[in-house]
Amino acid sequence: MDLTERRIDIEPGLRRMILIEIIFPMVLLILGIYHGLMQVLYRAGMIRSSQFLGLSYFQGLTLHGVVNAIVFTTFFAVAFGYAIVRYYLGRPLNMKVAWLAFTLMMVGTLLAAVAILSGKATVLYTFYPPLRAHPAFYIGVVLLVVGSWIAFFNWLPPYFAWKREHSGEKVPLAVVGIFATFIIWLIATTPVAIEVIFLLIPWSMGWVATVNVPLARMLFWFFGHPLVYFWLVPAYVMYYTMLPKLAGGKLFSDFAGRLTFLWLVLYSAPVGIHHQFTEPGISSTWKFVHAFFTMLVAVPSFLTAFTIGASLEHGARERGGRGLLGWWTKLPYIDKDRWLFSYLFAGLVIFIFGGATGVINASYNLDTVVHNTSWLPAHFHQTVAGPVFLSYIGMSLFLVAELTGKQIRFRTLNVWMPYIWTLGIMIFSTGLFIGGAGGEPRRTNMGVSYADPQSHLYHADWGYAKMLGSIGGTIMTIAALMFFIVFFATLFSKRAKQGDLELIVSETYHDERVPAVQTFTPWLAGAALLLVIAYAPPIAQTIRSNFPGAPPYSQDNPRPISSAPNR
Amino acid sequence: MLSVKQLEKRIIWISLAFAVVLLGLSALAINLFHVGLPTCLTDIKPFQKGELITHSPTHYELHYVARMWKFEPEDVTVPAGSTVDIYLSAADVTHGLIMLGTNLNLMAVPGVVNYARVKFDKPRVYQLLCHEFCGTGHDRMAAELHVVDAATFAARPSPPPAPEPTHPGYKLLDANLCTTCHSIDGQPGIGPTFKGLYGRTEKLRDGSTVAVNDAFIREKILHPDAKIVAGRFEQEMPKTDLSSEEIEEIIEYIQTLK
Repeated sequence: MDLTERRIDIEPGLRRMILIEIIFPMVLLILGIYHGLMQVLYRAGMIRSSQFLGLSYFQGLTLHGVVNAIVFTTFFAVAFGYAIVRYYLGRPLNMKVAWLAFTLMMVGTLLAAVAILSGKATVLYTFYPPLRAHPAFYIGVVLLVVGSWIAFFNWLPPYFAWKREHSGEKVPLAVVGIFATFIIWLIATTPVAIEVIFLLIPWSMGWVATVNVPLARMLFWFFGHPLVYFWLVPAYVMYYTMLPKLAGGKLFSDFAGRLTFLWLVLYSAPVGIHHQFTEPGISSTWKFVHAFFTMLVAVPSFLTAFTIGASLEHGARERGGRGLLGWWTKLPYIDKDRWLFSYLFAGLVIFIFGGATGVINASYNLDTVVHNTSWLPAHFHQTVAGPVFLSYIGMSLFLVAELTGKQIRFRTLNVWMPYIWTLGIMIFSTGLFIGGAGGEPRRTNMGVSYADPQSHLYHADWGYAKMLGSIGGTIMTIAALMFFIVFFATLFSKRAKQGDLELIVSETYHDERVPAVQTFTPWLAGAALLLVIAYAPPIAQTIRSNFPGAPPYSQDNPRPISSAPNR
Repeated sequence: MLSVKQLEKRIIWISLAFAVVLLGLSALAINLFHVGLPTCLTDIKPFQKGELITHSPTHYELHYVARMWKFEPEDVTVPAGSTVDIYLSAADVTHGLIMLGTNLNLMAVPGVVNYARVKFDKPRVYQLLCHEFCGTGHDRMAAELHVVDAATFAARPSPPPAPEPTHPGYKLLDANLCTTCHSIDGQPGIGPTFKGLYGRTEKLRDGSTVAVNDAFIREKILHPDAKIVAGRFEQEMPKTDLSSEEIEEIIEYIQTLK
């Protein structure tokens, strides 16, 4: 792709680290996606068993969630952050600190992986107590998170050094985006770190007998929603800083990009209770406050939709597009030299549906129809397995090719893969949406009950939805396979040139200067204030209510662990 | 033709107006239609026993206990036209309750009681499912609620509650939670019912057959995963700390369940 201008001779150590941080989770992702396929086959009743090839349904589901949604995303965000910070701020990083962060993340991931694979942490990626995982799982999660914090802190010295040297200049938009990503990550992971370190680890070690479940759940969802913006903002960075150039034009508005990133810093976190609308122990008032804030956090997604739409139009017109709608035909949908366009564009198309269903889920009482049904995985696959997944794997391939100096192999496969994935995920989600609106539960191995004609629980009326789910899931797996072929063939091909770091950088059409979006400070203060307003009262209520605590349980025994023998 | 700037200004004002109207409508909905969500921040101590309490012929209080891996009570009948106050508590881990075909959707969280009021207008059978992962038997955790017309409800034979078996073997089964998965009256469950089990010949997953006798039951209790019956749940049955004498009592009791 000849869209880059400035090349940076990256230090060999940082280059190696970015490569490992992309390739290692990519290998794990093979396992994660395999278990995604297994999920749809189990649920459609094609596998009528509680386990397959030595791993049980819920073990596979735990792996699928932890690997795809936590490990892959965190490693990628860190690797992408290194690339952006090094490229735009133009300073080498402190490699001792970087390797420390890297080691913590690797050790944490391996600890959690061993716990899951040995069947001692079948708790799904939400790890709700009082189902108890082996302490290694919780410790692994903490190490992964703390490692990513340290990686972020390591970017601060070059950032402030750049600001000192370029006083009065605007910080590059991509840097604002990646810093917003990690500020959101810090906000999100602090409560979950408190949950894991102060509630779950002592309890799973047996140092305390019981855990306050409502408090643990509230801290988890304090993390659970900003987490999705941690996933999404790196994709937005690509949409704002790379997609316009790939489309042949310029970013329509620089201000829109900055406002989007900062608005997400402000509103991503005081919304977590919208995951808990159907729960006892939280008053309706706070549920409503969070529902209201959730609607505000949809604003930057609309801003993005219109800004990127305008940028695409600009690109298409530069390429000779004419007419009110005719310009749509001029975009480089399947241009092998601009292949990253298809990854980013397909993700945007999927996100239209993911975003719209998100507004439905957050709508307070509409949620009672779909809460914990398969509607929910349909929605979040259209976000995290749509724009997030496609932009992450696309950028992974781009960075690996540039850093190693390789040419993309199987270029036709590469440029079509995102569209096949889109077809798969639309069919998959349609099935899950239909099933979910009819009450089909999520997180359930329906092959042994609701999808088994032999069972007294059989639901013939869910058959059609499950069929769509499994067809879509299979197409997604085929698309993923295509990507892995391209990725690993490129990685193992002969070097074509010297590897270096280069990124696609869009120019800006409207380069506004709005002082309010040139600094993080007021937005951080606003975020802190909103968090106190939204979370201090419900957390205080949950602690004060002094709910009876719960002893730990293992998933296969209805008696608490402390009283169960032989374990 | 308006410039982009003017257009933007106009759009911002229109959006703000829309937002104000929407907010007003939500406030109206909350006050007029009593749109609410489960809210119960209460001091009610979570209960351990599921039951249907009759307040009047058209008003009932239903206590559901969600436990690994069933709802109690599993089968409830109320007359059409009645209002049911449903209280849900979790006896062990987190569960969920969705009543298919309605918008009754509640989480059962250990330590807290959830609440919702439902009015049942027409006769119908409702299925309830657990929709939060609660362990091995989660996939089959379901219950039923029957709404019948008033005449049927009045005429329904009210069977005297089956007396709790007094056999010491039953007491052991109950105390060790074996009855969570194995019924004693032929009801299907996660494990096979004990009724009529003794003396039967079962096919094992490896193709061989085995007679359900003293030796088999003893082996199954001591080494749950040694022999697995074909078509059954592969997940191992939990281990217990039953003594040899206690296992004898249990075998003796199972023999009585013809």
